[in-house]
Amino acid sequence: MKFTYSWLSDHLDTKLDASSIGEVLTNIGLELENLTDYSKTHGDFVVASIVEFKKHPNADRLNLCTVNDGSKIYQVVCGAHNVKKDFKGIFAKEGLYIPGIDLTLKKGKIRGEISEGMMLSERELGLSDDHEGIIELPQNIADGTDAVTALGLNDPVFEIAITPNRGDCLSVRGIARDLAAKGCGTLKDLKIEKIESSNFKSPISWFIKDDGNSCEYVLGRYFRNVSNHKSPEWLVKKLISIGQRPINALADITNFITIDQGRPLHVFDADKIEGDLTMHLSKEGDKVDTLDNKNYKLSKINTVISDSKNIHGIAGVIGGLVSGCNETTQNVFLEVASFKPSGIAKSARSLGIFSDARQCFERGIDKAFIQKGMDYASSLIIEYCGGEASTIVEAGNLNSNPVFIDYEFEKFTKVIGFNLDSSKQIKYLENLGFKILEQNKTNCAIEVPTWRNDIESPIDIIEEIIRLHGFEHIKEEKVISTNEEKIKIENSFSNKKFKIYERVKKILASEKYQEIITFSFHSAFSHASLKGDASLKLSNAISEEFGYMRNSMFGNHLNVLEENRKKGFEQQSVFEIGPIYQDINSQDNILSMMAFSIKGINTVFKSEIFAFNKLSTQITMLLKELNFDIQQFVIKRSENSMFHPGKSAELWQGKKLIAHYGAIHPFIVQEFIKAPEVYAAEIYLDNLPLDSIYNIKKVSFFESSYPFSKKDFSFIFKKDQNLFEVYKTILGIDKKLIQEVDFFDQFYSEEIGIDNKSITFRIKIQSKEKTLEDKELDDVFSRVIDTITNKFDAQLRN
Amino acid sequence: MDVSKVLKEALVELESTDNEDSVQLIRVKYLGKKGLVTELLKSLKDLTDEEKKHFGASVNLAKEELLGKINSRSLEINKTSINEKLTKESIDITFPPPISHLGKIHPISKTYKEVIDIFGNMGFSVAEGPDIETDFNNFTALNIPEDHPAREMQDTFYLDQKDENNKPFVLRTHTSPVQIRTMMSSEPPIKIIAPGRTYRCDSDSTHSPMFHQMEGLLINNDANMGHLKGNLINFCKDFFQINNLKVRFRPSYFPFTEPSAEMDIAYSIVDNQIKLGEGDKWLEILGCGMVNPKVIENCKIDSSKFQGYAFGLGLDRITMLKYGLTDIRSFFNGNNNWLKENGFSLGRI
Repeated sequence: MKFTYSWLSDHLDTKLDASSIGEVLTNIGLELENLTDYSKTHGDFVVASIVEFKKHPNADRLNLCTVNDGSKIYQVVCGAHNVKKDFKGIFAKEGLYIPGIDLTLKKGKIRGEISEGMMLSERELGLSDDHEGIIELPQNIADGTDAVTALGLNDPVFEIAITPNRGDCLSVRGIARDLAAKGCGTLKDLKIEKIESSNFKSPISWFIKDDGNSCEYVLGRYFRNVSNHKSPEWLVKKLISIGQRPINALADITNFITIDQGRPLHVFDADKIEGDLTMHLSKEGDKVDTLDNKNYKLSKINTVISDSKNIHGIAGVIGGLVSGCNETTQNVFLEVASFKPSGIAKSARSLGIFSDARQCFERGIDKAFIQKGMDYASSLIIEYCGGEASTIVEAGNLNSNPVFIDYEFEKFTKVIGFNLDSSKQIKYLENLGFKILEQNKTNCAIEVPTWRNDIESPIDIIEEIIRLHGFEHIKEEKVISTNEEKIKIENSFSNKKFKIYERVKKILASEKYQEIITFSFHSAFSHASLKGDASLKLSNAISEEFGYMRNSMFGNHLNVLEENRKKGFEQQSVFEIGPIYQDINSQDNILSMMAFSIKGINTVFKSEIFAFNKLSTQITMLLKELNFDIQQFVIKRSENSMFHPGKSAELWQGKKLIAHYGAIHPFIVQEFIKAPEVYAAEIYLDNLPLDSIYNIKKVSFFESSYPFSKKDFSFIFKKDQNLFEVYKTILGIDKKLIQEVDFFDQFYSEEIGIDNKSITFRIKIQSKEKTLEDKELDDVFSRVIDTITNKFDAQLRN
Repeated sequence: MDVSKVLKEALVELESTDNEDSVQLIRVKYLGKKGLVTELLKSLKDLTDEEKKHFGASVNLAKEELLGKINSRSLEINKTSINEKLTKESIDITFPPPISHLGKIHPISKTYKEVIDIFGNMGFSVAEGPDIETDFNNFTALNIPEDHPAREMQDTFYLDQKDENNKPFVLRTHTSPVQIRTMMSSEPPIKIIAPGRTYRCDSDSTHSPMFHQMEGLLINNDANMGHLKGNLINFCKDFFQINNLKVRFRPSYFPFTEPSAEMDIAYSIVDNQIKLGEGDKWLEILGCGMVNPKVIENCKIDSSKFQGYAFGLGLDRITMLKYGLTDIRSFFNGNNNWLKENGFSLGRI
């Protein structure tokens, strides 16, 4: 919402200057976004004349000007082409700040000649981009006049943000009313002359169809023999001052009343209307040309205004082009209506139209101002366009039941935290136009003013009072943690989870993984490549690139690695902890890791190529750090199509997937990145039993002081034998004596059969109670051999 | 056998050794189980007591001398061989090692940790909700009915799929639906924060289609705006590490709070850098207010018994302000150069 200081002064008698008003506006909830006050920034520039000028001795394009600002003579070096004798322009002395070029003038020499200031262009003044010479002013302005006065810039312009609840402040009148209530001045009386009708009846009548359209009530009036020319000077100036383009008197009058009073109106060229006008819901697919020179395709949710032939406007949103008024308009029909806010919102949103009328109507207008709006517009039309006004026609019913609220003064203290005397509370309310109908010590009955459609309950009343009283008076209270809360935090699942995430991040960073955060969406291409669910499609994605909610982070991460590879990073490891979505109802917060390396050239510090074993070691370590032994899970080959089928694994605990990891499928890799192989893992952190991470059982420390022995075994297994099972089995053979199992060699050869593999492991045997005798050791060894050979159909080698 | 002869022979042999193995061979040859000196000792048993006394003493003397010499020869050889090794084992310590970094932690993660800690110290526990939300939780329950102008305040992402009310699913536009989920599923007192991802269709240097917010909610019998104010000022002081923080609360509007406020902190520009906490310019930091009784009722809680406040702040925004970062897009594009520069090393986290 834009308005000027002088426009505000039409309604508010105030002694405050623009910047003080701006501050108050923000403090009462009408946030000042911008205040253009040229007197603050341009006040030191003055009108000056070029008394004489000659060519600069050392530069062809420059002139040496003698400038008189009314009190002193200056030498100014000037490069403008429009310099001439007795030229009047705007002069800036040395030391002043030039806003348009962000420069403070210093006294200095330009090509050897002293320059004591500058003659300014519009661009240098920050008024426009025009740099075609310096500003020229008429001769009748005296030298020394300040630039703000000379250029007519002395009216500060406010731009404020109006929150969706404050429809009443979409008008200069409403803003003035709020400022007056705060104590910034007195609200001036609004004088509206009532225009009596001549004795002619409006040839056009209003009808509101009973089809659920959004019009509740509408007034109309016919003006005959008007002349629609340019608006009077004051009106043109007003509209220009807030950046609106004046059109013609009739259009300008309606625009003026919309901004001045928050009361949108519409004028039809009555000669373009056939028969009467009806408010009704549009037919699906009807089209209308509108005043913004666009054509809209309508649907059943748009309320429109039609005569017997044409659609003449989208009701409450924008007028139609056919009956728009221009200089030739002789007869005009004025509409003053009330609409259901939700209907206008729906209608305008469906068409994407943002008009002043829509803004007012969707927030709700002052229903008590419909007749007055008619009077105001009528008086201005008669005054500036002449003609005769008809009797007023109407349709519909105006439901303007006042809102009453029973309010308890104590409630203020309960919500705001300090006590405010009831008389003060009432004062603020009365300032705002609330009527106190009844009152006792504790309560009062309040009638809400007709322009405040947002006020309906006691909490709204409290907000009004504290808004005017000032948020700075609210006393800060300390918020501390109770013991119960501490316990709650300690036991909170989410708190624990975030703690674990922190640990995981640190562990991975120490393994050279860089943490990244990428969007929760990915491209249609990634979604297809990674076989994402169709339900995850966004209806209004900002681009194809972000078309789907991601079912895996691999697409995004491959893109990141490729972008960084192009910048020269040939070894990268990244991770992200974040959401992936299996379908619309399921979100998993997982850890996704990805790494690749291209063989380095350094022969002194050789770097290892990232491969499956490195990834699985890292995952093992990560799980171990979180108190899990990777070998306690069930391991399987992964059948997920994201992975290379021979180089990927899945870890399961019961029916819960804990992780899958391995080489990304070469088909996918080649689509995203120039790298021979990329390894990645998805670890379902939320599937890990949190409590076993937290509840580490403290077993009292006991170190065996008896000797240990180690023994190596080599077996030939079937090639597809799951070695995790073997591992678990060995540990289970003698839980007291077998302390460790360490797999350390594997080979394949024709000699042992192509369907077989040879596996070597070492076991460590130690008792906590005694030195084991050879016989006891041999017994463990033979149990190992028997179990392995029998259970896994394996053969002991050597 | 002549003791001195044997000893002399042994010492000559020892003198000519140049490695540990030969020394050990000499040890075995003379002092081993069948060694020459050992044999001499064994021969004692055939002698008379007088002879035993005399001869025995000289053999023992010789044995001890030989043992000493063997040990010192062994030490000498060890020392020589290590010294020799040292002269051979010099590597070029000036060959520059490749530059190697550990990974870094994303600035947002640091902020997550800090806000959870700071609010944790004030008694707030963490709550969560999903990113894909129903229209009801994201809007309606928060007192943002359909066709309310407030819906225009946020550019919402929709999914093709519809929920059980035949409304398309949305990507939550704020973390406020966690308020609804928490109030629906638990009884007051409630004291939670809910950090998480949020989404709006918007993209430029200060807006990203995905960003992070944190919701706060406190519901009990008597929480008032004074608590709200104190709570948030203390948070900002802690987070920005500024003790004399100049702030202001000004009235605003959110459908789910009433009265609603926005909190600004003062700043000034010093040497082209933002200096937070003082000055005459204001930066919007967060939105807050007393929870609208309608929202409390929507969650089946009696608003005549319970009241409280809520707040929401942009985690990316406060991170950018704290560390002087200017482009939100660089948070999410994985640019390794940016992350190395702005991420936190393990030593700093």
